[in-house]
Amino acid sequence: MLESKEVTKQFGSKTAVDHISMKLEKGHVYAMLGPNGSGKTTWMKLAAGLLKPTYGMVCFNGEPVSIESRKHVAYMSTEPYFYTWMTVKDVGKYYQDFFEDFSYDRYLTLLKQMELTENLRTKALSSGMMAKLKIAVTMARDADVYMLDEPFNGIDLLARDEIRACILSYATEEKLLLLSSHLVEEMEAIADRAVFIKEGKLIENVDLEDMRTQQGVSMADRYRQIYGHTEG
Amino acid sequence: MFKLMKYEFRKTWITKLILLGITAAVESWFLVSLYMEKEDGLAASIAILMMLAIFGVLFIGLQSVITLHRDMNTKQGYMLFMTPNSCYKILGAKVLENGLSIALTGAFYFALGALDISLLFAKQGQLNQVWQMIQDIIKSFNEEIPLTSDALAAFTFSLLAGWITTVVTAYLADVISAALLNGKSFNGVISFVIFLVLNWAFGWLEGIAIRNIPNVVTMMLVRGGLSLVVAAVMYVATAQIMEKKLSV
Repeated sequence: MLESKEVTKQFGSKTAVDHISMKLEKGHVYAMLGPNGSGKTTWMKLAAGLLKPTYGMVCFNGEPVSIESRKHVAYMSTEPYFYTWMTVKDVGKYYQDFFEDFSYDRYLTLLKQMELTENLRTKALSSGMMAKLKIAVTMARDADVYMLDEPFNGIDLLARDEIRACILSYATEEKLLLLSSHLVEEMEAIADRAVFIKEGKLIENVDLEDMRTQQGVSMADRYRQIYGHTEG
Repeated sequence: MFKLMKYEFRKTWITKLILLGITAAVESWFLVSLYMEKEDGLAASIAILMMLAIFGVLFIGLQSVITLHRDMNTKQGYMLFMTPNSCYKILGAKVLENGLSIALTGAFYFALGALDISLLFAKQGQLNQVWQMIQDIIKSFNEEIPLTSDALAAFTFSLLAGWITTVVTAYLADVISAALLNGKSFNGVISFVIFLVLNWAFGWLEGIAIRNIPNVVTMMLVRGGLSLVVAAVMYVATAQIMEKKLSV
């Protein structure tokens, strides 16, 4: 469904993503893991079409990401990106205007779950409320691919449970979910595959169940092995 | 396209409303001064209304360039560039919304000016004085414009089309800065130099095009038409660079 072909992105002399090739298939929930600055966000932005690759390409259903793929790929940036003049209602109306797969009813349901109201102004939202709004508006789309960059950032434990449940309700055979997070244990309960990225390079794209049964290691263990933070 | 234009308007409508509010306040001052026959108030309010007309149109164009710059250089740009719209559509909506705003603002101040002059004439009956004032205003832009309705209309068209071209030229320079020179030293300075060079090139082209046209009205129409053609070429070039190279 999503294929990264030798994708490279350089910012001046810095290489943020370095010849990453991988295939991400529908019916899976992927955890994209790596420390800050490892290239997770840059890769997601390349897949969302917000960044142009220096070399290589990301394909959606065999075609390079384009206007057409944006109709089917829902991307949630880790940074707040709503116009400051918008209310929560304006955000929903905006998505409704531009994304055919957006359901305003679903958005209202999610807002209620997240304890947000339509009249709130986005510039007045706390970081936690902003994170919830980003999730609500992204998940109110009926997309084929959901890419959520750090969806649990700034969200308290109880709300995190709700968001996890919401995300998992989308995990069907027809959809692909890709989530990045530094909360490795949190991701272990959601994902069935993990993509480890280090210094812009792909380390591995593994099935978590296979890794547990064949190597006897959890995702957190593998994370520690790769990034060097082994427990004493 | 209409939806994109709607949101372009939403981004700038507050400043347009402020401009309208200030204009309404000064117009009220003008009307009160006219009614009470206060010469000082009349002179001052007319001068301010003229300033508002000129700087209002200029500001609306500048604000559009600032909005594009913000869309390309802040995270808010994700709202625009993650929608399933081509850069041709996105930029087209900006050009159309801004062109329409400039044209409507120009037409609004033109109509307001005509109304105020009529009121001034009706109240004071000093046709020569009013006529002289109009001539002075027009001549401050161009010495050769005859005071006929077709000449004034052609002059207004040429002026607004020229400003729209300047705004689109600024779009191109800013997009080159954001898409091709991003991360390079002095990219802002380089894009400003590009803007100046493009403007100079357009001025040179315009000079050649209107050199042998003796009729002032025809000359103004050709100048305005040429401005719109150049704006269209700049638009295509800008959208193409955005489509191929712009990362937000």
